[in-house]
Amino acid sequence: MFKYLAIILSKSSVSYCAYENTPFDNKTDDLISLPHLKNAVTFALKNNLKVNFLFPEYDLPLEYNALIDEVEHIKIVPLQLYATYQDSILVIQPKNLLQNADIKGLKDGNVILRVSKQHLPQLHTCISMLAPKCTRINLVLTDIEKYRDEDLDEYASQLAQISLYIQDSLSGNKIPELNFLTDRMFLAQMNNCNAGLSHLSVAPNGKLYLCPAFYYHNEDSTLGEIKNDVEIKNKQLLELKYAPICRICDTYQCRRCVFLNKKLTSEINTPSYQQCRLSHIEREASRLMSIALKESKNFTRQIETIPEIDYLDPFEIAQKHKIEISAFKLINYANTKNENEIGGESN
Amino acid sequence: MAENNQVKIDRTNSWEEGKTKNVTFIVTEDCQLQCKYCYLVGKNNLNKMDFLIAKQAIDYLLENDDFSKETSVVLDFIGGEPLLEIELIDKICDYFKIQAYEKNHPCFNSYRFSFTTNGLLYSSDKVQHYIEKNLTHLSIQITIDGTKTKHNLQRVYPNGRGSYDNVVKNIPLWIKQFPHSATKVTISRDDLPYIKESVLHLWKLGVKDVNINVVFEDVWKPGDEVMFEDQLVSLADEIIAQKYYEDFSCSFFSKMIGHPYKENMNWCGAGKMMAIDFQGNFYPCNRFVDFSLQHRKELMIGNFADGIDKNRLRPFLTLDMVTQSKPECIDCQAATGCAWCQGANYDFADTDTIFQRATYICALHKARVRANNYFWNKLSKKLNKELRTDF
Repeated sequence: MFKYLAIILSKSSVSYCAYENTPFDNKTDDLISLPHLKNAVTFALKNNLKVNFLFPEYDLPLEYNALIDEVEHIKIVPLQLYATYQDSILVIQPKNLLQNADIKGLKDGNVILRVSKQHLPQLHTCISMLAPKCTRINLVLTDIEKYRDEDLDEYASQLAQISLYIQDSLSGNKIPELNFLTDRMFLAQMNNCNAGLSHLSVAPNGKLYLCPAFYYHNEDSTLGEIKNDVEIKNKQLLELKYAPICRICDTYQCRRCVFLNKKLTSEINTPSYQQCRLSHIEREASRLMSIALKESKNFTRQIETIPEIDYLDPFEIAQKHKIEISAFKLINYANTKNENEIGGESN
Repeated sequence: MAENNQVKIDRTNSWEEGKTKNVTFIVTEDCQLQCKYCYLVGKNNLNKMDFLIAKQAIDYLLENDDFSKETSVVLDFIGGEPLLEIELIDKICDYFKIQAYEKNHPCFNSYRFSFTTNGLLYSSDKVQHYIEKNLTHLSIQITIDGTKTKHNLQRVYPNGRGSYDNVVKNIPLWIKQFPHSATKVTISRDDLPYIKESVLHLWKLGVKDVNINVVFEDVWKPGDEVMFEDQLVSLADEIIAQKYYEDFSCSFFSKMIGHPYKENMNWCGAGKMMAIDFQGNFYPCNRFVDFSLQHRKELMIGNFADGIDKNRLRPFLTLDMVTQSKPECIDCQAATGCAWCQGANYDFADTDTIFQRATYICALHKARVRANNYFWNKLSKKLNKELRTDF
């Protein structure tokens, strides 16, 4: 059941995930057309969808802002616009921070930090700059296909430093939410991106996509025009139970990005080895941090126990131990029943 | 009274079955025939493997960690028609043997060269020279489809002429050299009336083991399963009446088929094997090469220069039955033995995925199961012994 709709207001709208937007060329060709925007907003209103609007770097025409305000939404904007939209989610890149971008006014921020492999060694520095000013930081590693063993080691090292920084600056129960480090401590089940299951995206061409990354990677990968009964062929392959590696995994904070799955392994239900290893490095850092926090007298929030494991890639486990047929049926039929019940309620 | 071990109708003869690494060399995409049911939709006389490419592929296999622990290797030569390139194959095999010996590779003591051929060139001097040289390490399967009528319905030259006469003349020599070899028969829609006579004909020719299957493509119409079942029941009667079960096998009849699933295994070995095309690109099997695909792009998993892309291989190695099957297939009471081809699944899927099982053969499989039940129940009664006690 869809809950959210991402609307990409222009081709050069800020990227908030592991894809690159189209560089700004000219405004005429860049923006979504007003009829397309109205169609998308109407679709959201009719289907009880909350909207995430992805903004470009420039000011929108007045009539666009008026349409945007018709629907419940969150603005996702580049750092350059944070003074204009202070209640928005900011997208930041290390080069912005490290080049002395003005973030003095940032307070209780909710930011997305997009880090390329090149800037991985500055991750700890970036987090230490942002953490005092933010309630939540979502980290996006933008080019994981380039990661080799030494980069994975670097990521583990950065997480260890960030963990120590968080522990050292601990004040009572208050810690900044870091998707890659703290989320796992409070999760008891998968909390994946769920593109195509809980949300869809509308691109500047007015068409629907599983997520913005599919649009930017290949415009032809569209789900079609906006319509009430969106057809997603082989939709079951987006679900956790149809992902042989992920359904046995407990890196609950993993995005399980179906775009990166498709790009790197050819299959939307199969994660790359880079994805699995990065998520397990995060899991291990979370596990060690959770132990430290439990030992801290000042931190009294309930934390999930994260078991110690001896692997970084559940592929090896999935390959050897296929899920039992009976277990699959149990998951399958239980979920089918739940979906029917949800459908009944909405009718 | 016949003992259970005298019933050989469902025997299999694969060399080191389940213990080998199969590597397929697609030495040519050309063939003398244009068989009507052939899945190779893009055959051509342009794409042929160069020896230099083959050498580099052999070097990769013998030097790479992925293969260093393989103790049994099958080098499978296919096409198109592999015997068109017998001189190249001879050089490849020589190079493999020398390199495996010099590198002290464990597979030097346990390897096979394997062929599936249309048999047209089988008795030629070049092919016979190769066979003589490698006889103790060879498996050759000539495809002959049954009676002349059945064979010539499908296995034709580009001008439409049937190839039966040119194949059958080579069968005695083949059986003499490989007395335990099997043939592989493919059944498409037009072939249904000729199944029984074809199996019996092949046995009469001396081909004792007949591996036979229906095509996976979307060619079947409602009612086909009735004729299919009638043919198999009639064949079952003949097998029992003439006691052919004591000497011959036909893969349509098996104790293993027609039961609910107990295990969540993939049917197909794509990804556990590997195919190499004329450019040295690697594929999960030859069904993922572009000249095998009607609707989808080729699906590569690497090449000899860069090695295997482990990310591209991951989906194949985690494929299981439940993830790619519809609920009615998972729950099917006649499920076991219902085959699928991963390449055909990929080609026919609604999206470009290997996780959608094509089920065009559903009605035919159920018909086969009924005929198979008929056979085993009738034979058990005749022999006064329950032959399927394991199920």
